[in-house]
Amino acid sequence: MNLQLLGTLIRLRYRLFWAKRRSRSGRIALFLSGYLMLLAVMALLTAGGLGLGAMAVNAGRATATAATILFGLYLCATVGTLILGFGMNAIFAESEMRRYPLRARERELARHIVAMLDPYWYLVVGIEFGLLLGLYLLGSGFFLTGAIAVLMLYVCNYLTVRLLSAIVERLVARRGGSIFLMAAIMAVGMAPPFLLPYMQAHPHAGPGLSWLQWTPPYGAALAMTHADLWAVWGLTLIAWWTLGLGAALVALERRPARATVVSSGKLQWGSRYDRVGAFLGPQNAILIGHWLRFFWRNNRFRMLYPLSLPLVGFFIYGFTRQSGMNLGPKDAFASAMGAFAIVGFIGTGQFAVNQFAYVGNGLRRYLLLPADPAAALRSCSYTFVLLDAVLIVVGLVVWPFLSRGPLDPLMMPLLAGCSVTGMFLYLAAGLWVSVLSARRGNYYSSFGNDLSFAGNTIMIGSMLCLFILPHVAAALWPGLFWSGYWWVPLVTAAVAGGVYWMSLQGASARFRARRERLIAVMEGRS
Amino acid sequence: MESAILIRHLAKKYGTVVAVEDLSLSVPKGSMFGFLGPNGSGKSTTIGCLTGLLDPSAGEMEILGQRFTSESVDLKRRMGVMPETLGLFEPLYAHEFLAFIGRMFGLDETTTRTRVTELLAALELNESHKTLSEYSTGMRKRVAFAAAVIHSPEVLFLDEPFESIDPAGVASMKQWLRRFTEQGRTVFITSHVLETVERLCNAVAIITRPGKLVWQGDITVLANDGSITHDGQEFRALEPLFLHLTGEHYADLNWL
Repeated sequence: MNLQLLGTLIRLRYRLFWAKRRSRSGRIALFLSGYLMLLAVMALLTAGGLGLGAMAVNAGRATATAATILFGLYLCATVGTLILGFGMNAIFAESEMRRYPLRARERELARHIVAMLDPYWYLVVGIEFGLLLGLYLLGSGFFLTGAIAVLMLYVCNYLTVRLLSAIVERLVARRGGSIFLMAAIMAVGMAPPFLLPYMQAHPHAGPGLSWLQWTPPYGAALAMTHADLWAVWGLTLIAWWTLGLGAALVALERRPARATVVSSGKLQWGSRYDRVGAFLGPQNAILIGHWLRFFWRNNRFRMLYPLSLPLVGFFIYGFTRQSGMNLGPKDAFASAMGAFAIVGFIGTGQFAVNQFAYVGNGLRRYLLLPADPAAALRSCSYTFVLLDAVLIVVGLVVWPFLSRGPLDPLMMPLLAGCSVTGMFLYLAAGLWVSVLSARRGNYYSSFGNDLSFAGNTIMIGSMLCLFILPHVAAALWPGLFWSGYWWVPLVTAAVAGGVYWMSLQGASARFRARRERLIAVMEGRS
Repeated sequence: MESAILIRHLAKKYGTVVAVEDLSLSVPKGSMFGFLGPNGSGKSTTIGCLTGLLDPSAGEMEILGQRFTSESVDLKRRMGVMPETLGLFEPLYAHEFLAFIGRMFGLDETTTRTRVTELLAALELNESHKTLSEYSTGMRKRVAFAAAVIHSPEVLFLDEPFESIDPAGVASMKQWLRRFTEQGRTVFITSHVLETVERLCNAVAIITRPGKLVWQGDITVLANDGSITHDGQEFRALEPLFLHLTGEHYADLNWL
């Protein structure tokens, strides 16, 4: 095992991270994300974990409460990694690693260690340590076994994510794999809201939650809250899971994903993309058709766009039933409006804030075409309008089936207005971020977060705002969100359309001025 | 003689770094023009300015008698460009990429299909089951060349066109380029393969860092076993002339 070289590679990963300070935007991003945000969030979340630990002990059910919290964290870390791509950046591709005198096993190990040292995982571990500290300070458990459990859980969580991503990657590479994946996620995502009311009504009907006792978070909770053989059993449980997940991952990685969608070898002139593109005018048809083809062939897009369909249903169903503030059905409708605003951009959200991330040196090609240099920027955004519009229509169609409470025909324009407002405002922001804060991405990687700090802020911030603000507004001004004001979202949609149009003009001008810098970014020279 | 490309006092700066300094150049119509210089001398920057990828810091450019800027859409339609980094869309198949370029340059669907099929056959790009990312460097270069010529441009800019292409491919490309110039069209080539430039081009310009023109002239005499006299010295090949003009020297690494 070439430990010295492994150490050098890990240092290089952080040196590359640190090298971002050489550019002005890199310095700002590094300062905000690397220091200020990380420290603030870690402090907040560690304190939060501490509070949760205290709460667990005070409730008198330390193990069960800690297990629930850890299970939630485990799930959040997994979903956050798979959907948003945090903590999954490979940093060094396999082809790059082959340059160094490392064996296959060492390269594999180096890649995993480098990925595990992503700052995202520090946040997860920070909260878990906070929980441990809270439990320990209130007299529950033994700190050393708890600390070992946290570190083991971290490794286990990472392996779970890697294994799931490897499975998903193999699925989307197969014909019909995306559809299967979508159906699976839909089943998993939609099941709890449907099953929970049933299980509450029939407590003896299902298997209950006893299976949780066999999961790594429960093992960690045992090790955190006990100083006896239960702690040893907890650590053993995580160790078994880690071994199992590790073995499965090694087995999968030894059989690399192979695309089974093989071209016939005959030239196929399918112009269905161009025909779809022609919806937005003949002058845009070729470029929009090109963008549709480009994105539709991207594994990440093929995974995330269909995934947003079940999420649409999940949001609508979950939001309208669990307002969390005991609001009446009228004000619970506020949640649906927030959900519909998210529906307006969720399908293309990750791509809209970094439009050129995956074109690489193809960006040069757009500028050589006999068209306005910014035509590529605008046509890409129009493509997202088309794709988002499909999801909005789907959302409106499923709304009557998933909503609760009385249905009012005026709800439709209200919800449609919210979606269109969300879509135009998000795409407007996306245009600016794509021009001013672009980052080069890896087209062939299904996972990993390729967004800049600004891109992540817009994407995550928009969703969080739309999750929280409607609830707050409904609590502060009851009765505000009701169909008596059905025309308001239509007005906001028109205003958002105006903002989008102005952003198209403004961002196009900025694109022309910044194109040299964008070329440098996309070709990896900046 | 009428100029296909005319550059007047072109300058390009990146902050305080000067990439091209006061470059003036005239490329005759119908010529095969070699644009030479050592690494980092500003060749690609000049081509970038001439094709609208970069905005010059100063100076003017004329192509086919019209003032050229990055917004000159009509002129771009008459130009073909093979950029140094190729500018391919990796996930596309070669025929999809070429069809996209053809359609964007105003060819109708039928003409596009015909030309794409002919170009793929001529350039032996017959692995239609592979996307561009799966092609070898040489194959990718052929695709970029096909994209530059698919719309029959009047001026062709080729940045390092022959590197990584096998001898048979280079021979075919040379034939096409010769025929291209015989029809009165212009080819502007940068290359480090001086033997190829010597045999192919009828005129060259040599620049040195930072984008300063040090020599421009006819080199057809070299192909006919003649010589070029400069600074009182006689040069029978392009390479010694190039090394003399650019001040490039051979560094001896005794450990290598």
